[in-house]
Amino acid sequence: MPPRRQPPPASGPWGPRPAVLLLAPLLLLLALQGVAAAPVGAEGPEDSPGLQDAEFPSGLLQQAARAALHFFNFRAGSPSALRVLAAVLEGRATVNPKKGCQVDLVFTTDHYNPEVGEEHLGKCSARVFFRNQKPKPAINVTCTRLIEKNKRQEEDYLLYKHMKQLKTPLDVTSIPDSHGHIDPSLRPIWDLAFLGSSYVMWEKTTQSLHYYMAQISSVNQWKTNDDTIDFDYTVLLHEFSTQEIIPCRIHLVWYPGKPLKVKYHCQELQTPEEASGTEEGSAVAPTELNNF
Amino acid sequence: MKWILFFGALIGLSVCGREKFFGDQVFRINVRNGDEISKLSQLVNSDNLKLNVWKSPSTFSRPVDVLVPSVSLQPVKSFLKSQGLEYSVTIKDLQALLDNEDEEMQHNEGQERSSNNFNYGAYHSLEAIYREMDSIAGDFPELATRVKIGHSFENRPMYVLKFSTAEGRRRRPAIWLNAGIHSREWISQATAIWTARKIASDYGKDPAITTILEKMDIFLLPVANPDGYVYTQTQNRLWRKTRSVNPGSPCIGADPNRNWNASFAGEGASDNPCSEIYHGPHANSEVEVKSVVDFIQEHGNFKCFIDLHSYSQLLMYPYGYTVKKAPDADELDEVARRAARALASLSGTTYQVGPTCTTVYPASGSSVDWAYDHGIKYAFTFELRDTGHYGFLLPANQIIPTAEETWLGLKTIMEHVRDNL
Repeated sequence: MPPRRQPPPASGPWGPRPAVLLLAPLLLLLALQGVAAAPVGAEGPEDSPGLQDAEFPSGLLQQAARAALHFFNFRAGSPSALRVLAAVLEGRATVNPKKGCQVDLVFTTDHYNPEVGEEHLGKCSARVFFRNQKPKPAINVTCTRLIEKNKRQEEDYLLYKHMKQLKTPLDVTSIPDSHGHIDPSLRPIWDLAFLGSSYVMWEKTTQSLHYYMAQISSVNQWKTNDDTIDFDYTVLLHEFSTQEIIPCRIHLVWYPGKPLKVKYHCQELQTPEEASGTEEGSAVAPTELNNF
Repeated sequence: MKWILFFGALIGLSVCGREKFFGDQVFRINVRNGDEISKLSQLVNSDNLKLNVWKSPSTFSRPVDVLVPSVSLQPVKSFLKSQGLEYSVTIKDLQALLDNEDEEMQHNEGQERSSNNFNYGAYHSLEAIYREMDSIAGDFPELATRVKIGHSFENRPMYVLKFSTAEGRRRRPAIWLNAGIHSREWISQATAIWTARKIASDYGKDPAITTILEKMDIFLLPVANPDGYVYTQTQNRLWRKTRSVNPGSPCIGADPNRNWNASFAGEGASDNPCSEIYHGPHANSEVEVKSVVDFIQEHGNFKCFIDLHSYSQLLMYPYGYTVKKAPDADELDEVARRAARALASLSGTTYQVGPTCTTVYPASGSSVDWAYDHGIKYAFTFELRDTGHYGFLLPANQIIPTAEETWLGLKTIMEHVRDNL
């Protein structure tokens, strides 16, 4: 599979409004990204400047973009229209040391599936609110259309038909295998699994933790009915910056055009002292959420 | 096999880029006289059929090869039949053939530099890698030797390939290429063994590597964590650490890239043996790390240390353990940017450049920070492909493209070291 070509980040014009607080390391990172970063200043009467807050991780804009995209992908509910982050164009952060941090940003996206043409860049603007080191950031995101709506529904329906033709029970263990290979006939399963994982990854993202889907380690159930695909699987998420591999059991129900329904439970392997700062620090408490 | 030449010469000229040939066929038509030639010309010249002549009739006894698009198959067959023209279908589906050839070529590319069929475009077992190192040393006895620098926790040998044109026992300034310290980052070991063969093959041919080796020695450690690597092949593909036993804990292993004596146990490491970034009980507690440290210190003349990891597409320099700027940061940054540009020049793969702490995250006890703080100025970390799509499970068909582009980056750095001795 040819690699994803990352387009050079475009430097956008900087807004006239006095922008907000960015730390030196963050500025450095933005410079590296080619982003037009605003100088430091305070904004808003109720927000207190938190410039000296040493807990601030670098790459905050990237964090926000990732969370926004996971949320966007989940909400779009379309395995054929998944997006990845291309580049952050501009962004600013407002810090309230007591409550959390709000990030406003603009970024570009690419198709998730590298086989689809590289030239279509979507543009998104988002407002992401991270509660202090707690997961499930609040997100407001809008993106320009990458694919025309009818075409997207068509592609989703084709995927659905393809999935219905797969022989059950699925004769597969890991996707991809150890050598990174995904059988082309199983590619839709990977895309659907990624869609479900997007919900999980959105909810788990904090200011300092982010995730990638490493592997589907098992398919527990795969049922295709006339009006749904019922998919129960275990996925391994790779967590930055702890480097942990988190197994999550995900159960999703999908039909083209309908909102995705997801239930999940992730194994928190670390003992409480590792999960510093999070509410769900316990190694025992399951995070079972249900949006059915 | 001859079809490859056909394509190169003919299709390459008329079709560039993304045109596909699903269901298109190649007809070989026998023309026995001038009358048949003119009938054929009539067919070929009809615009709406969109035929493409591959081999024109020059004499009567030679057949004509014509590419017929799938939509024109029926009308062409009818015409040929009605005109009594003899033909056979030599290619039933051009796209299928092209796809196959692609695969084969890629496969062959991987075989190209190997004399004993070690496929560089695939992932290999530890034994196979060690055998290939031995094979390289055997193929290039004047240049390369396989050296044992120590052993792992589970008593596997740690092998390094030493590339040296120096005579006698003189300690030339040296470059250390480290790979596979985190066992699940398979593209690292794979890139390293490809690079080993590349260094050996290109010496005497490529001016850059030749002049580098005329002034310096290169030491390449393709598998810095052999126990972990074997474990990823046999038990758990996503294992990262060593396989040492932690007394009093059920959890195995320490993160070998948090175990070096550079702000050991500082920020960005864990004291919990169950953590993936557990730094170990003390610096150099991991025998795999100690073996490298002892070798480099005993040698005493290393100028460059490069550590290959995956994934994220980053090229970084010290420090990881602090946000403070390293004294040589400006120079290292400039070199790294040039290296990243050279790397990108091959396939457009973009790398971000910067100091470890702010580019990725704080990390203490890392190999590169240790090297830098011990006088090895040109200390760099590569995080190879990709940026998260496949992550650690990078498909094997990306090994050679990754290795080839990384080579350009490595050369840039090594050339700079050569010019600044």
